[in-house]
Amino acid sequence: MADRRHGRLTRSNGRAPRLIWPALALPGTVWLVVLFLAPMYVVVAILFGTVDPILRQPVPIWNPVDWDLGQFRYVLDHIIGPDGFFGPALVRTAVYVLVASALCLLIAYPVAYYTARGAGRHRGLLLALLIAPFWISYMMRMLAWINLLQNDGLVNRALSFGGVFDIHVNWLSGHASTVVLGLVYGYVPYMILPLFAGLDRIPAATLEAARDLGANRFETFRRVTWPLSRPAVVVSLLLTCLPMLGDYFTNDLLSAAPQTSMVGNLINNSVLTPGQTGQAGAFVLLVLLISVVPMILYVRSNRLGDEVRS
Amino acid sequence: MSTPRHNQGLSRRSFIARAVAAGVAVPTLPALLSACGASDTTSGSASKIPAPNNPVRWPISKKNPPIKSGQQIQAGTTLRIYNYADYLSPKLIKEFEAAHNVTITLSTFNDEDEALTKIASGDLSFDLYFPSYDSLGKMVQADLLRPLNHDYINNIDNLWPQFKNPWYDEGWEYSVPYTVYTTGIAWRTDMVSEDIAQRQNPYDVFWDPKYASNLAVIDDWHTMMGMVLLRNGIDDINTTKASDISLMRKQMMQMLQVTHPKVTITMYNDLPAGQYGLCQMWSGDVVNAVYYLPKGQSPDVLRYWFPSDGKGMVDNDLMVVLAQGKNPVAAHYFINYMLDSKTAARNFGYIGYQPPQRSINPNEIVADGFVPKNLATATVLPRYFVEGSRLLQLPPQADNEYHQIWQEFKAGG
Repeated sequence: MADRRHGRLTRSNGRAPRLIWPALALPGTVWLVVLFLAPMYVVVAILFGTVDPILRQPVPIWNPVDWDLGQFRYVLDHIIGPDGFFGPALVRTAVYVLVASALCLLIAYPVAYYTARGAGRHRGLLLALLIAPFWISYMMRMLAWINLLQNDGLVNRALSFGGVFDIHVNWLSGHASTVVLGLVYGYVPYMILPLFAGLDRIPAATLEAARDLGANRFETFRRVTWPLSRPAVVVSLLLTCLPMLGDYFTNDLLSAAPQTSMVGNLINNSVLTPGQTGQAGAFVLLVLLISVVPMILYVRSNRLGDEVRS
Repeated sequence: MSTPRHNQGLSRRSFIARAVAAGVAVPTLPALLSACGASDTTSGSASKIPAPNNPVRWPISKKNPPIKSGQQIQAGTTLRIYNYADYLSPKLIKEFEAAHNVTITLSTFNDEDEALTKIASGDLSFDLYFPSYDSLGKMVQADLLRPLNHDYINNIDNLWPQFKNPWYDEGWEYSVPYTVYTTGIAWRTDMVSEDIAQRQNPYDVFWDPKYASNLAVIDDWHTMMGMVLLRNGIDDINTTKASDISLMRKQMMQMLQVTHPKVTITMYNDLPAGQYGLCQMWSGDVVNAVYYLPKGQSPDVLRYWFPSDGKGMVDNDLMVVLAQGKNPVAAHYFINYMLDSKTAARNFGYIGYQPPQRSINPNEIVADGFVPKNLATATVLPRYFVEGSRLLQLPPQADNEYHQIWQEFKAGG
């Protein structure tokens, strides 16, 4: 009897975790299926679908057997080669995103470092201020820049020291630098917060140990803080790079010139053009494939981190 | 054609609204999803393409018959209007609501391609829509419209005579005209020293390196491409000739390289703000640009050129009743209300786009205070509709070719 009861308890104890873990994973799985896999399949069905002959609206084909590769092939054929007019926009996107992310990191890391390590009793206030940009929509922040960057805007007035020098930079007429700075301004808060979280998690005792063992401030940073904060740097880069890849309205608002078109603009233009919606699906797939590389890097860096910790 | 022109008002609010709308559209997926509902439009017959020399009388829809005569608006109902932002006076909307005890909801779109995508999804139940005439044929053939019952629209007599039997909709079975406009060139005299109108070919300014990064063209494929054709003396701005299309493509790419134009629809805001000195512009937009000038800036700096012989782009927009709407009776009443002479004149004062009303004498538009003297060239004359070039629906093959060139242009070449 006792053995049987013991056996039953053992079985129930063993079964509980098997039910709990799938149950805990269920919301995430449902989210993934409903909000990622299913929409992604719709994108693919439109990409490989056909077009309605009258309104030229996309007609998705759900059965992969009947898929038409025409739109996908069209996009691939126009990336490289004599007809490769999509190519420059893709390269431009990569350059803008890389430069903007590097600038974001240069700005965000010291700010996050100071908040985590040096802000003392002002830390709460500083954190609130760092979160403040999230209270204003991205669009509104960009619109504010339009006013600031106009020919007679505050930026030109500041650069000309109130009119002492004759400086009239036409910031809003298709400058790559304006688009990149817009991206930096828009996405830097998304980088500061994960960096702060990562830097804040580094145990103070580790840093004290480094100092006790003779490392100066710079050496402590180089040999302890930076290596331990690298996963946070990767996460923050991902959090900014991925949305930047699909961004189109920063360019639309601050430039609107084809010379600064990014892949997000190609997607937006295709979606809104009858007969070309499938091509938007092709660009979405390309961006997805490109985004997978940094994701793999992130997973790899996390795994290495776990191994180091263990 | 997509004609994203009408974002006017007396402040910058419409610009913000447009920009916010652009932001709302950030995720591309919803647009793709909404497009999935379009699959039932494949059953159309071969496309008919109306043109001034090929007038079309559309058959009356069997699926969506006209409403019966003699009905009253049901109090407490909602009339859903789908239109460009700030292309309809809010004051007039309020007055109609009060007069008929109905509620009007106004939804806006950025361009006709976007609007058609959403209408084709069939889920939005809009009653009234404001397209341009070149998309009318597609909508009729896709059975998206409800034929008009003329008994409700006696104010049709107020319009210029040619609009009582237009070539794009003979017998005005499905549409009534809303506004008329030309497409020309606008500039600021304080930023552009020459008088562009005096050039032998004013369209050349868009290829003049002197104005690099100081100009903009309209973000509407056919309007912009039509201008390239007109520059080359090709009055048929719907040409399907391979040599014309090739020339157009070549010159568009040249323009990108030489003058780096902005491609936008916010000229009414950008030109007054001094973001650039000259741009391709719709006549209604330049009239409204006056109200966007900074305080203290004289409206006299604005100029507008349209060929005095009328051989430029001239177009008109329409009001149509959508089959998907739940309140077609109110939609008919509203159309009649907008065709009333006084209502149309007040609406003109707000949106800047001229209605083709007989009571508005084009020769006295300046004297009547609708248009400032320096922009008298923005007046639309009835003869332009005889002399000018019209943007028409293109055959599918040509439409595809035009769109591909536009895609290349917008991608930066």
